[in-house]
Amino acid sequence: MYGWIWRHLPGNTWARALISLVLVLAVVYVLFQYVFPWAEPLLPFNDVTVDNQ
Amino acid sequence: MRVVVRTFSELCITVGTVIVLFVVYVLFWTGVKADSAMDDQIAQLQEQWAKGSVTAGPEAPTSTATGSPGASPEEPAPYKDGKPFAVMYIPRLGFTWNKPVLEGTKTGTLKKGLGHYASTAQLGQEGNFAVAGHRRTYGDPFKDFPRLRPGDAVVLTDGATWFTYRIDTKPYKTLPSDIAVIDPVPRKSGYTREGRYLTLTTCEPEWGHSHRLIVWAHLDATQPVEAGKPEALRR
Repeated sequence: MYGWIWRHLPGNTWARALISLVLVLAVVYVLFQYVFPWAEPLLPFNDVTVDNQ
Repeated sequence: MRVVVRTFSELCITVGTVIVLFVVYVLFWTGVKADSAMDDQIAQLQEQWAKGSVTAGPEAPTSTATGSPGASPEEPAPYKDGKPFAVMYIPRLGFTWNKPVLEGTKTGTLKKGLGHYASTAQLGQEGNFAVAGHRRTYGDPFKDFPRLRPGDAVVLTDGATWFTYRIDTKPYKTLPSDIAVIDPVPRKSGYTREGRYLTLTTCEPEWGHSHRLIVWAHLDATQPVEAGKPEALRR
């Protein structure tokens, strides 16, 4: 999978490394900004009330 | 075959990395976000109070003409859902511990501070002023909840008045369905007569949700903000 991505990136090794880094950061950003905020309420740490509102 | 195994192992590593990132998010990043959100809320309140537009202050001018028959004249205006209206100080949880109190106990509201149960009494009023807060994650406001002891002060201000409540009970463990703990006169607290009470609720165990921890307090003293900080906050 990662090998396939690597082969399909343009440029020489340095350019590929740079693009990979940007891609990784983009994925982390999407996770922290959208995916984790959605998933976090599914964990029990939010239940602090006695009437479950 | 080799491609399949390699892809599978790459997927496993990816999933593991995402899980580690998620733990970092829950334990660390929610705290960073909550701290800045709480600072924001307190700044918003202080700005509001500085302008003198205390929307929910007890000194609201006696309602002109539109006095509804049911409400007593000193009844403050209702709080706005999701908006901060007070700051809470609990010296036992740390001398610098202070958190905004927002109206409502929705998930989104509790990310920005402590939440006031909308169905319960208002600050300093007759009845039970009940507040919920996170034990863990989102800044861990009630992390040291089990250290609260009878006699501890819980001080709140709405910009016009300091309210000093005194805790009367050790943290009481109950079930999430036990909504009687936020009744106007919570029986299990040992209170028998109507009064001005405060209830704090959080989750128990620390990282779980099977139970709730409760403490009760009664209103001990009030003083206008012009008179300076109450004794419980001086050092």
